Amino acid sequence: MPEVRVEFHEQLRELEQEALSTIDLAGAALDQAIEAVVNRDTELAVMVIESDDRIDGRYLDVHQGILNLLARQSPVASDLRLVAALLHAIVHIERIGDLCVNMAKLVPLMGEPPDGAAEIMAKLQAAANQARDQLKQSQIAFEQRNLALAENLVSQDDVIDSLNRQIFQDAIEAGGSEPQTREWSAHAMLIARYIERIGDHTVDIGEQIAFVISGEFREFTDASRPGGVPA
Amino acid sequence: MLKEQATQSERPRTHIEARSEQPRYPGRAEPIFEVHEVGVSYNGTPAVRNITLDIGRNRITALIGPSGCGKSTLIRCFNRMNDLIPSATVDGSILYHGQDLYGAGVDPVEVRKLIGMVFQKPNPFPKSIYDNIAFGPRVIGMKGDMDAIVERALTRAALWDEVKDRLKDNAYQLSGGQQQRLCIARCLAVEPDVILMDEPCSALDPIATAKIEDLMLELKDRYSIVIVTHNMQQAARVSDMTAVLMPEVREGDVTIGHIVEYAQTDKIFTNPDNKRTEEYVTGRVG
Repeated sequence: MPEVRVEFHEQLRELEQEALSTIDLAGAALDQAIEAVVNRDTELAVMVIESDDRIDGRYLDVHQGILNLLARQSPVASDLRLVAALLHAIVHIERIGDLCVNMAKLVPLMGEPPDGAAEIMAKLQAAANQARDQLKQSQIAFEQRNLALAENLVSQDDVIDSLNRQIFQDAIEAGGSEPQTREWSAHAMLIARYIERIGDHTVDIGEQIAFVISGEFREFTDASRPGGVPA
Repeated sequence: MLKEQATQSERPRTHIEARSEQPRYPGRAEPIFEVHEVGVSYNGTPAVRNITLDIGRNRITALIGPSGCGKSTLIRCFNRMNDLIPSATVDGSILYHGQDLYGAGVDPVEVRKLIGMVFQKPNPFPKSIYDNIAFGPRVIGMKGDMDAIVERALTRAALWDEVKDRLKDNAYQLSGGQQQRLCIARCLAVEPDVILMDEPCSALDPIATAKIEDLMLELKDRYSIVIVTHNMQQAARVSDMTAVLMPEVREGDVTIGHIVEYAQTDKIFTNPDNKRTEEYVTGRVG
């Protein structure tokens, strides 16, 4: 039998493409934000902040598109799961953009780096690179409906979590007793935390991918019971 | 195989118990119908085959599927309406509260009193609103205050307030939606146990449709409802369980309907197990 509701499915495909291509914008924002941090480039930081309007615009477009589809097309079954997952995913992507803005806003505030700053910066760069890779992985997993790739985001994210803990420890030690260096260290910790949150958002997108595929939502890891066995 | 049908005059009336005492399946709805391997043929040509499912008490069960899949043929089995088609034969078994619906000695008229039917197009009698409702109770000799019976039926069908001051008006003066609720009231007047609805809203506008749907949700506390609908969103809105029938081309050009999935409506419309269900509800096949 021929496919019906062709127009609706075309709209749904376009909506998915728009949402997933926003991951590219968020990834570019992350690249620029960490570059601004590492190079203390305030002009680039301003660009990151201003560019976030594009991500916010995409969020609004996808959000409105989803409302239109729900109101006019009443999607069901896998279509409904995809619509729900896209609504979640675009929120995560928008939040990633905001976290990049948070990173950029700290660039002019960081002040003089203390001894040991280079090593911390290298770890921040490594964490950001890892988050960038995870973003791309979530995008590919979504496009391919690849459950294994989505679930793999959890172990990938362990890398960022580890770097975050190392940076925290390094920053405490580097902060010393001088107010200026302590402030720099606190900002470094915040940036590490923002990157760690970006990693978490990619895992959350992975959970949405699993929901689209399986029809059942489950958290890959349970943050409130870190020692527990994941479902 | 079902037993040879006798005419009403050839056999004694057998009372069918409208309620069984205990749920047969704790934790699930008590099955009001247990349908096993039912098939229907017209002039020897099969229309549906291998239909097996339980219909739950005080549940709304929707039968959905593309045209020609046998939904209406199946629902007509539940009150022996197919008996009225000389060329129709029904195989398999349908237990109603555990009793063979097609068993020897079961009176089809009694069956249709307990298992009423509402059709696609409202079909009031060319009589007054009052007489439309009173007709059935009079025919079966129901005891009691007829005015009270009429008021109760119209109230349960959410029509009383709209017609209480014009009960002597001809039923044809009602709107299409009101006529359909009148037909539901007519069905309720004889105190049925089950209401079968064969596309009850397909001739109605959205407001009248919404009123019928609201009514169905109110009625399910008291009755079990089976509905055939082409409107998948209607099935999604009102039903507890959904059976998906699909046509299958077999034996040359003959199309035979069968159930591809039967599950809770939430499941059917969010995460169906069957690929053909998924393709049908999402419109990936016509």
